Amino acid sequence: MSSEAAIETRELTCVYRRLWRRREVRAVDGVTLRVARGTAFGLLGPNGAGKTTFVKLLLASVRPTAGRAWLFGVDCRRPEARRPVGYLPENHRLPPYLTGAGLLELAGALSGMEAGARRRRIPELLELVGLSDWGQVRLARYSKGMLQRLGLAQAMMHEPALLLLDEPTDGVDPLGRQQIRAILRQLQQRGVTVFLNSHLLAEVELFCQEVAILDRGRVALSGKLADLTAGRGYRLAAWGVPERLFDELRAQASAAGWRDGLAEFQFPSREELNRAVDLLRAERCPLERIAASASTLEEVFLRTIGSSAGEVRGE
Amino acid sequence: MKATAALFGDTLREARARMVFWGFYGLSTAIILFFLFLLRIDVVEGARATVTLLGETSPRAIPIARLVRQFQGGVASFLYVAGMGLAVFASAGLMAAVLEPGRIEWLLSKPVGRGRILLLRFAGSLAVVGLNVCYLVLGVWAILGWKTGVWDPMFLAVALTTIFMFAVLLAAVTLAVVLSDSAALATMIAFALMVISPILAQHRLMVKLLDSEGWRRLWRALYQILPKVFEVGRINMDLLRGRPVESWAPVWSSAAFGAAALALALCAFRRRNF
Repeated sequence: MSSEAAIETRELTCVYRRLWRRREVRAVDGVTLRVARGTAFGLLGPNGAGKTTFVKLLLASVRPTAGRAWLFGVDCRRPEARRPVGYLPENHRLPPYLTGAGLLELAGALSGMEAGARRRRIPELLELVGLSDWGQVRLARYSKGMLQRLGLAQAMMHEPALLLLDEPTDGVDPLGRQQIRAILRQLQQRGVTVFLNSHLLAEVELFCQEVAILDRGRVALSGKLADLTAGRGYRLAAWGVPERLFDELRAQASAAGWRDGLAEFQFPSREELNRAVDLLRAERCPLERIAASASTLEEVFLRTIGSSAGEVRGE
Repeated sequence: MKATAALFGDTLREARARMVFWGFYGLSTAIILFFLFLLRIDVVEGARATVTLLGETSPRAIPIARLVRQFQGGVASFLYVAGMGLAVFASAGLMAAVLEPGRIEWLLSKPVGRGRILLLRFAGSLAVVGLNVCYLVLGVWAILGWKTGVWDPMFLAVALTTIFMFAVLLAAVTLAVVLSDSAALATMIAFALMVISPILAQHRLMVKLLDSEGWRRLWRALYQILPKVFEVGRINMDLLRGRPVESWAPVWSSAAFGAAALALALCAFRRRNF
């Protein structure tokens, strides 16, 4: 585990079991991920891929079945690991009896802020999210978009080093989305790590530098967004790749990931692809497919998820 | 400390917003005002009195201390039975609210231990009811003392026993809410504990009536384990009437039940996925 990473998980697994049902659901399945400090990271995936459970595991509101996670090098199960974290949950139900300012006051106090600092910060934040005139109004009277903006403000209240945002633009109009993106960009420029959990590919593409695509609880693909979407490239999938070789190829690839024992790589050029093929053949690893890659995140996403769906159909 | 005060204060704020706070205080104030305006006592010879209640004059003189004790007994019984029922009903909603999806995840994302979140919600709910009970008991005690000159300190003990038994039931409510997320189920369980208590209190008679040793054991076990709402209420009245308390065992065993329920609730809350 490295304290240089804002988020680090190792083989993080969460299996939901019901006492009265035999079936178990592997919501998160052996996820190993590293998010460097100061990065804007997007976690993508179809509905039910395990994105929200992954975030809940980081915040210890769900207990892992196996594996571990650290936030800035601190075991995420410890309450102090959450001190530098601001969180906006998906489908939040912020206390409706509080006013906007009251919610920020509560969020600040729970995060350990001094009273003076809270008093100074509240008007600043209300101004930032465009709710200056709504600070003394109860949340029960806020629209969905306003609640979302206030939710973002409360996550930023104690000036966290890491923001975990679960569908932050859900219910926000296009102008509000643009404002939120601008705020997040400012934060990111100040060195705040932003972890965006979203199914809106355009949002992620506009803001994030790195992405991971989660599918059926596993990381189907991860890498730098610029590499994943940079012009033409090549995608290679092979079976039985030894860990040593996987690491070597990952260093050359723009993205790499595992899915059910199948190693997948994205190479920016034909030369790197050919070199990888040579190495895989030398190790007698059966090649599953080689294909030219597309250029938009949506295409990358659809291909990744589509190939997963194909595998499911083929099973 | 900041988080502790914030969580405690948040419970009080929510109670106020849900009108629980105002409902309780409105009812208590109504009772106090009832005594203040409608009870007129004319003290005769310092020891006996004639009483006018709602315009009706008592046909015979009543010893003033006994009269005050009767009023206090009425208030104590009302508080212990009806007040407790209302308090349980309102507090179950307050306990369950904190576990609402979308809210609990937000709370758990803060650098605060789970135990503290639950305990402070418990303490806040207890404080709302406790303050109200003290307000009512002190109000009635002060008015009766002022009007009659009878200042019976044992009436103040009613507040303690009522708050104590409410805390025991609130612990059961907390456990039920943590396990089920249902305020309705938690209320039903607390009411069931209240209703079953006078039946279980007849355990000596009941074990004679049961024909199977297994059933007798079960009955005795239930009596030992469950809170003794009825018997603590009887202790309440014994204290008020200046009678010696036969046994304090119902208090200790109810306290043990409450402590165990709260410990189990904490344990379940710490282990739960949200």
